[in-house]
Amino acid sequence: MYTLGIDIGSTTSKCVLLKDGKEIVGSSIVVAGTGTDGPSQALENVLNSAGVVREDISYTIATGYGRKIFQGADGEISELSCHARGVHFVFPDVYTVIDIGGQDAKVLSLNDQGRMMNFAMNDKCAAGTGRFLDVMASILKLDISDLEKEAAKAQNPASISSTCTVFAESEVISQMAAGTDLPDLVAGICQSVATRVASLARRVGIKERVCMSGGVARNAGVRNAMSKELGVEIVYSDMAQLMGALGAALYAYDKAKDSNPTVS
Amino acid sequence: MAVNELLAQLHEVAASPKKQLDKYLKEGKKVVAVTPVYTPQEIIHSMGLVPMGVWGADMEINEAKKYYPAFICSIMQTVLELGIKGEYEGVSAIVIPSLCDSLKTLGQNWKYAVKDIPFIPMTYPQNRKPAYGIKFTKAGYERVIRDLEVATGAHFSEFALAESNKIYNEHNAVMREFAEIAAEAEITAVQRSDVFKSAWFMLPEEHTAIVRKLNEELKNGPKAEGKLKVLVTGILADSPNLLKTFDENGIKIVADDVAHESRQYRTDVPDMENPVDALAQKFADMDNCTLLYDRDKKRVDYIIEQAKKHDAKGVIVLMTKFCDPEEFDYVPIKRACDAAGLMHLNIEVDRQMVNYEQAHTMIQAFKEMF
Repeated sequence: MYTLGIDIGSTTSKCVLLKDGKEIVGSSIVVAGTGTDGPSQALENVLNSAGVVREDISYTIATGYGRKIFQGADGEISELSCHARGVHFVFPDVYTVIDIGGQDAKVLSLNDQGRMMNFAMNDKCAAGTGRFLDVMASILKLDISDLEKEAAKAQNPASISSTCTVFAESEVISQMAAGTDLPDLVAGICQSVATRVASLARRVGIKERVCMSGGVARNAGVRNAMSKELGVEIVYSDMAQLMGALGAALYAYDKAKDSNPTVS
Repeated sequence: MAVNELLAQLHEVAASPKKQLDKYLKEGKKVVAVTPVYTPQEIIHSMGLVPMGVWGADMEINEAKKYYPAFICSIMQTVLELGIKGEYEGVSAIVIPSLCDSLKTLGQNWKYAVKDIPFIPMTYPQNRKPAYGIKFTKAGYERVIRDLEVATGAHFSEFALAESNKIYNEHNAVMREFAEIAAEAEITAVQRSDVFKSAWFMLPEEHTAIVRKLNEELKNGPKAEGKLKVLVTGILADSPNLLKTFDENGIKIVADDVAHESRQYRTDVPDMENPVDALAQKFADMDNCTLLYDRDKKRVDYIIEQAKKHDAKGVIVLMTKFCDPEEFDYVPIKRACDAAGLMHLNIEVDRQMVNYEQAHTMIQAFKEMF
């Protein structure tokens, strides 16, 4: 039995196709989020990659910012629950999930069964989100994927505001004008995101192991800064960006089983 | 009258306070605006005036920004904005108490920004329970009486106040009864809010009559089944956009500790010889509110007790942005919920919210935790 999870974020659309609630048979990421053709492209891509047709899918759950307006789902679940479920599937010993997406950040606290027991979301603000990194990469004329490499070369990370993207932008421009090395600037930017989200994490409480999910988790500069900031090891999967879609596919499997109890 | 008709009537009032103001003015009545959180409405009522609550509105703030920084309570800012824009035209005076720092600035700014509606301060004591505190409250009330006489030409009598105290106690009782009935009845969060909100725009005797009928109908009506029961706490919980998410997610408000709602109706005016003394004693007897000084923070235990009494499984804190007193109380509330095994959620709200998407996601995720 195939079940599908689709995570429609503000900047990307992600799909995970699951077989029998256990095996990931396909996944896709399209850099176009809600309000675009990203969700339908992501869906098409995952079906093509797995050689599955739409009719083969028993149940689909949508999650993420665009979950309510996606027409092709059988149900919708919040991205917080889906990230918790997806991370628990990959790392059953994780108790704290830090998910940084394109326009928000969330910290989830899980119990032994992987059930979300508490959470916190960031304020309505770009600081401490993927959007912050996008803005900074653009000022520095870097590709977002280069931030990680540059941060690794830093000797003395610059101090950048963690409270406001607009202030941080002018701080970065001032530091560029003052001749601060690029790697130090980038490391300061990663540190800024980590500082902001770490304070959110402390509100929920940190219990190890800690996992980072979401698009920003791909950036080792932010992961390392977060690890240092919280004083804990951060686990990470190459599937970090797909955790929400994976959780949605797992919930879809539960639903499909509920509606057809003969399926094991 | 059927439940839906009664609720529609109260919704109409809650949604159109201006219409209500115009109605009272057309009837030849004088209206006095009362701001959050507690004012001696009984005194205003006893002088033949109509006390109408002003708690701001969900709107963009422009004019009030001349007087306020961005980082201050948006309830206060929108009260001033509406005043400057003439929305309270026809009101004879405004009573603003001194219960928080933002309220103090509202009074001071009002004097300069809205010159045609006289500002009447009500200065409450920090220590309201000792005899000297009660004396201080009484002196404040006496000043309000004098100022009201000047601003409106109305006269005060102890006899009339004693009657008004009774009318308000009756209203308190009917509102407390409503809160209990609504915890079980098939009524939405938005409808529940309408009942509390409309109370601010009607004479208490008129509101009592409608809510009494509503209570009877709801008692005999269908009961809500299979919902997640929560207690809601905060200063204000009147945004239909936010409250409809409760309904969409099957979340039932079974009790509230909201300043705009149940906190108003917990304490009656005691039966005493002098009605002004009795009213001052009422303020001394009030408790369990962020704005009422209490070094022991008994409000925290009260919230947990109320949640348990109503079988609530969680506590939702609607945190008014930049409300320092509420923010200070949040930490012990959160800890007490953890200790009591109650799930809790903190949602920051303000009068300028346009997009509720984040709040919707948080409420949905909260429901999914159960």
